[in-house]
Amino acid sequence: MRQLFHVTPSGWAGLGTAAFGILILPSLSNSYWLSVFTSMGCFLLAIAGVAFMYARLGMVSLTQVGLMGVGGWIALRLNHAFDFPFEVNLALAATATMIFGWILALPALRMRGLYLALVTLMAAGGLEIIFATFQFPNGGAGFWGVQTGSGAAFRRPWIAQSAQAYLRYVIACALLGFLCIELHRRLQPGRAWALIRRSEAAAMAAGVNVTLYKTWAFGIAGLLGGAAGALLAGSLGLLDDGTFRASESVMIFALAVVGGAHSWQGALVAAALYKVLPAVLNIWGVDANLSFVIFGAGLLHAVITAPQGIAGQLLDGLRRLSPKREARDA
Amino acid sequence: MRFAKRIGVASAILTLSLGTQAMAEVSCGMNTGQAATGAPILVGGIYGNAAPGDWSSSTDSAAAYFACVNANGGINGRPVDYRVENDQWNPEAAAQAAARLVNDTPTVAMVGNGSFIEMAVNANTYEAAGIMVMASACAISECFETPNIVSTNQGPLSSNLGAAQYAVEELGTRHVACIGLNIPNNGIWSCQAVQDFMRARGGEATAVLINPGAPDVNSALLEAMASGADTILINQPAGIALAILSAAEEQDLRDQFNWIAPTPLYDQSVPAAVGAYWWGHIYVNAELAPLEVNGPDAQNWIAVLDQYGRADDPRDSFGQAGYLSARFFTEAMLAMDPAQLDDRAAVGAAIRGITGYTSDLMCGPYYVGDADFHMPNHAGYMVKVVEGGFEIVRECYEYDSPYFEPHIALETQLGLR
Repeated sequence: MRQLFHVTPSGWAGLGTAAFGILILPSLSNSYWLSVFTSMGCFLLAIAGVAFMYARLGMVSLTQVGLMGVGGWIALRLNHAFDFPFEVNLALAATATMIFGWILALPALRMRGLYLALVTLMAAGGLEIIFATFQFPNGGAGFWGVQTGSGAAFRRPWIAQSAQAYLRYVIACALLGFLCIELHRRLQPGRAWALIRRSEAAAMAAGVNVTLYKTWAFGIAGLLGGAAGALLAGSLGLLDDGTFRASESVMIFALAVVGGAHSWQGALVAAALYKVLPAVLNIWGVDANLSFVIFGAGLLHAVITAPQGIAGQLLDGLRRLSPKREARDA
Repeated sequence: MRFAKRIGVASAILTLSLGTQAMAEVSCGMNTGQAATGAPILVGGIYGNAAPGDWSSSTDSAAAYFACVNANGGINGRPVDYRVENDQWNPEAAAQAAARLVNDTPTVAMVGNGSFIEMAVNANTYEAAGIMVMASACAISECFETPNIVSTNQGPLSSNLGAAQYAVEELGTRHVACIGLNIPNNGIWSCQAVQDFMRARGGEATAVLINPGAPDVNSALLEAMASGADTILINQPAGIALAILSAAEEQDLRDQFNWIAPTPLYDQSVPAAVGAYWWGHIYVNAELAPLEVNGPDAQNWIAVLDQYGRADDPRDSFGQAGYLSARFFTEAMLAMDPAQLDDRAAVGAAIRGITGYTSDLMCGPYYVGDADFHMPNHAGYMVKVVEGGFEIVRECYEYDSPYFEPHIALETQLGLR
């Protein structure tokens, strides 16, 4: 039990970063940056899910932004259909997306490597078509909940009505997401995933239910993606199919690799590249599409020289600077 | 010799005409001819430029007009600092643009906005911030059905109704296929209005919806043909509309249908882009006066663009609308107490107080008023695409729909009828 709640230096750093994000960052940010950081927080949660699957199981999922869309769709539908508080809509959207992730995983898990990536990409393409065809609920009647003309209002959490409070709320949710991943890593699923990653045959021989644990991982990614979509809906009050294109799923997976899939810092770097870099370019008056060129260069850099991503390189650099390490090397 | 004489006369006329154009007097704001040097007045604008359409001509024309105002005394000696952002057809980018321009910058108003996205995302932001938006290229319902946004353009609902009304009255239309974008507050909203209108006139209409992210124009055309329509209403941005016309030309469908369109096809580049095959066969509703009307304000808009805009700024309806919004805003500001020019609430009240502004670019008066809806422009022209331009086939006419009843009531209350 002590091991379960043991906080590593990296964990303390993560908690410190979250505390900074919740307590200080909103006060330092103007309205523009509040909006940018809120988007970044939502996508951080989604990237954490896709990076976790890649790091723990070596599985490439290219559906994550599609799963965000599913979560956002459910949150919007619940918001317009019932008077549930935002938290209930968020929990239901995340849970339903987790179940959707399981359903998606069962046939997909018969594949591995490139084929799994292609199947998930096709699922993302299918979701993109569904979103574009049926649109996102805006307060209308019927199953799809789409009405002609202007949409109805979306209720934010009662404790997070302002932009500052909502950013805090999103960061707190992202922290919970990372804690959920870490908890799983330290419990039986984490041990099973480690064994599966080393060798599926060995895992099966050791009595690990490979299908169950792989599906479980897909479910967690779905849970995080669904929560991210619901939070994004809360941020904007509406969603647009253009946000959830299959190409965006490919993009956030690539950025998870660039940032570093094996650590929370990597997910943070990836989310910052995805949302903060275009915002900075925009402020400088440079076309934000230049960020795609930078992402491409970053991906080449990661593939060639930094298998642990930018975060891995930064952490290595910090370790080299630490006095203990220097003394040990001496 | 006679030929040489004719050439000489033609050259003289050309030189005179070019000279007149080069020296065309512009009229902007205070018209002092002196550059404004005071503290700038901050004004914002948001446009959308990404696939599938560039919606920036309204902010381009507004920027040109404000540059002209600044070169002519500004607003009581103070220049307008006009800052624009691109929403990239992306809700997050739209929210960020408004956050930057409305919440982080003490802008007193937004002018010239043109987008498919930003008004839906930001209507509540504008209301909460108490800022008025004098938009110009509105394409969605929030533009016309929220309290803080008023536009000089009509939007797809009105322009579609104008085109459908003309088709019923002049082309004998009984069944319209409305090819719109699959966006609830744009294509679905505006095609629904055409369906209601056609039912009221004893006909029918079918909505055919296209995914804006991946427009499949051939499928849309086939669906429109299968509906049994006799008239095809191309309710699309110009780029997709041209793709639909190109696909129809490949299938030689020109003579099987009447072809009508709302204002996005009123663009001087369209007649050449569609080619001779379509000349004389496409009827377009123009939300503002076509260039052929060439009234004083229309000439001023062109002169302003020539002198203060870029050579490639579009000369289209949305450009006219952007110019008009900037001009009306400037007039309202000039009528204000100069001490209150930085007060967003006072500027908002001045904009709401606008009533009875006129221009030869608009068929009726422009007004704002204190209402939860705004659509001052709901009358227009019909033009036909011909070689080298457009030919007016119907002068100013008001559109006939129950949708406009509250607007007409407001106009009556303001003494404009």
